Amino acid sequence: MRAFLVIIALGFSMAIMISIPAGIIANQKSTQNLTENFNSTISNMEEEINKASTLIECSTSSGQGMFSGSPSGGPSGMPNFGFGQGEVFINETVGDEIRSITGVKDVVPFLEKSSEENTSETMDTPRGSFTISRPLYTIIGVCLNSTFIDDYSILPTNITAGGALQEGDSRVVLMSSNLTDYYGVGVGDKVEIYGESFTIVGIYEPTSQGRMETREVYMNISDAQTITDNAGNVSRLDIYAEDVSNVDGIAEVINAAYSELYVTTYKDRLTNLENMQEMYTQTLNNAESTLSQTQATATQEIIVAVAATSLIVLFVMLYTVRERTKEIGTLKAIGFSSWNVMSQFLLEGILISLMAAVVGIAIGSIGAPFLSSLLLPHISLFGGSSSGRFGLSFGSANSGMTGSQAASATLDPQLVLLAFGAAVLLGALGSLYPAWRAARIRPAEAMRYE
Amino acid sequence: MSEFILKTEKLTKVYAMGKRKIPALSGVDLQVNKGEFVAIMGPSGSGKTTLLNVLGCLDTPTGGMMILNGIDVTKLPEKKLYRIRRDEIGFIFQTFNLLPYLNAAENVELPMEGTKKPKVERRKRARELLGMVGLSGREAHRPQRLSAGEQQRVAIARALANDPAIVLADEPTGNLDTENKYEIVRLLGRLNIDQGTTIVMVTHDSQIASHTERILFLNDGKITREKQGFHLVKKKLMCPYCGGRIQLSDVRCPSCRKRL
Repeated sequence: MRAFLVIIALGFSMAIMISIPAGIIANQKSTQNLTENFNSTISNMEEEINKASTLIECSTSSGQGMFSGSPSGGPSGMPNFGFGQGEVFINETVGDEIRSITGVKDVVPFLEKSSEENTSETMDTPRGSFTISRPLYTIIGVCLNSTFIDDYSILPTNITAGGALQEGDSRVVLMSSNLTDYYGVGVGDKVEIYGESFTIVGIYEPTSQGRMETREVYMNISDAQTITDNAGNVSRLDIYAEDVSNVDGIAEVINAAYSELYVTTYKDRLTNLENMQEMYTQTLNNAESTLSQTQATATQEIIVAVAATSLIVLFVMLYTVRERTKEIGTLKAIGFSSWNVMSQFLLEGILISLMAAVVGIAIGSIGAPFLSSLLLPHISLFGGSSSGRFGLSFGSANSGMTGSQAASATLDPQLVLLAFGAAVLLGALGSLYPAWRAARIRPAEAMRYE
Repeated sequence: MSEFILKTEKLTKVYAMGKRKIPALSGVDLQVNKGEFVAIMGPSGSGKTTLLNVLGCLDTPTGGMMILNGIDVTKLPEKKLYRIRRDEIGFIFQTFNLLPYLNAAENVELPMEGTKKPKVERRKRARELLGMVGLSGREAHRPQRLSAGEQQRVAIARALANDPAIVLADEPTGNLDTENKYEIVRLLGRLNIDQGTTIVMVTHDSQIASHTERILFLNDGKITREKQGFHLVKKKLMCPYCGGRIQLSDVRCPSCRKRL
């Protein structure tokens, strides 16, 4: 019974001993994951930017024009995080004027308008949760010209049901799946947008903007102009140059002629990417320094756990030796050497801590996430910046980072092996002095001891 | 003059209690010959147990000399003494001192632990010894499932495990009822005759002591007197009254019916 309690107690301190490295390893892994994801995202985006080097984005609001890094190759439109406020429109004739600038190949007009209806949602971030109110959806009116559709991928490509919009389509929409889920509708159903009825022809998987998914409704630009009372208006023009060498000249002309337009070329996009890279590098550095801080704490805690474990072994074994003095005396009287007795007790100490290691691993395998989150300081990677604005999608790393760092702390076989090694070592260490005491017992004195 | 197994000269033992020195043995001269069955008697505090502990190398004497089976053990250090205890001495305790978590056979095997004897041999020897003390079939029993008398038999078997030169018994009947007392002392007597085991037994019970062949009286740490026990007579397997043949187990002489 006593041995059982001792083993449980020892098991707990061993569980702590192994949960901490498990937590640390989990932290290291997620940081590494983040770095890898980030690097691949950056290189993907760079590729995208270089592919679309002839694209000049002209937007009526500053929030737009940021290049979307979604690897799916979706259209470059981004929701305005100003959420419908200050949505400015220009006359589509501007597009025709720009079309006449030398070197311009095509001008693709868009009309983006947020819904009047808003929704509130709560976001959980490492810095706490806050509520954000944003439009229920954004209408994206696109010019359904088959050349544009084919050459410039102006529509989402990751369609999960139905089909994409076609040239000449009217009164039909392509909706993101989160919106169809919200309304509880499917392909062929009708939805009401800006008071008008539309038929859903296709559903697509939305891309993430940081922690938020976009909610968009794609339709013919003329439909969009009609229902939003924006006849002849556009909010964004995607201008494609004949050649990369024309881009700078065209951008200059547009900037000079239309001060109301925010012009973004691939150079601006690359600069933005660099800024972003810098920012994330800093974030990663922060994460690493926090990690090393955590490791320092962990080292201290492990030392305490090791000390506790060996002290438990020490006192238990001292008590055992005291209790079994007469038995030790008997053993020596019938011819056991001091070394025999000593090794007997060393072995017993090691055995107890080995059993405790088994218990500890059992506790650890269940309680490691809890124990390590209890014992290790929490890391917030996104100390100062919000990733949302940059439209970076970190995939798995993102979700891993959002919750508790130690949530994924698990015991790998190497750690289990290490735990057994530590058990043998601490068992031996803790029972060294008691075993020595046992070996020194003089049989004649032990016989008098009751 | 027969060959001696154990011999002491002016053996002393002084316990230091703080500044006071308490003499427990003050010059013991004794000799035990091979094959003898000797009892040491004395009132409590006379130094019986101290003497036996010193004789059993459980304690070192303060002065004097002691030779055991031809070895001068007086000045032997602990790291050599354990071999003497293992190979030359078999110790029997008043409280049996069996290990509770080992069964009878394992308890008997215990002294052979440090020897080179292979495991199979040890097991065989343990069975043989348990048979010798009348415990065949009880090998797998733990001490708590054995009676006090049976436990002491296991302890006797254990004492004989390494075929020692001498068996030292400290009040072996002290914790037993009358019936078991005589069983044990008769067992020791029989081992003495059948196996030729040399036995020194400490007791304060004169009835028990009389079952040996020589009784030494210890008083204030000195042997003051010596007396013969009737084991000497029995050993010759001859009735002291009529000279007829007797068996060791006989209580009365089968010829003259006199009490032995």
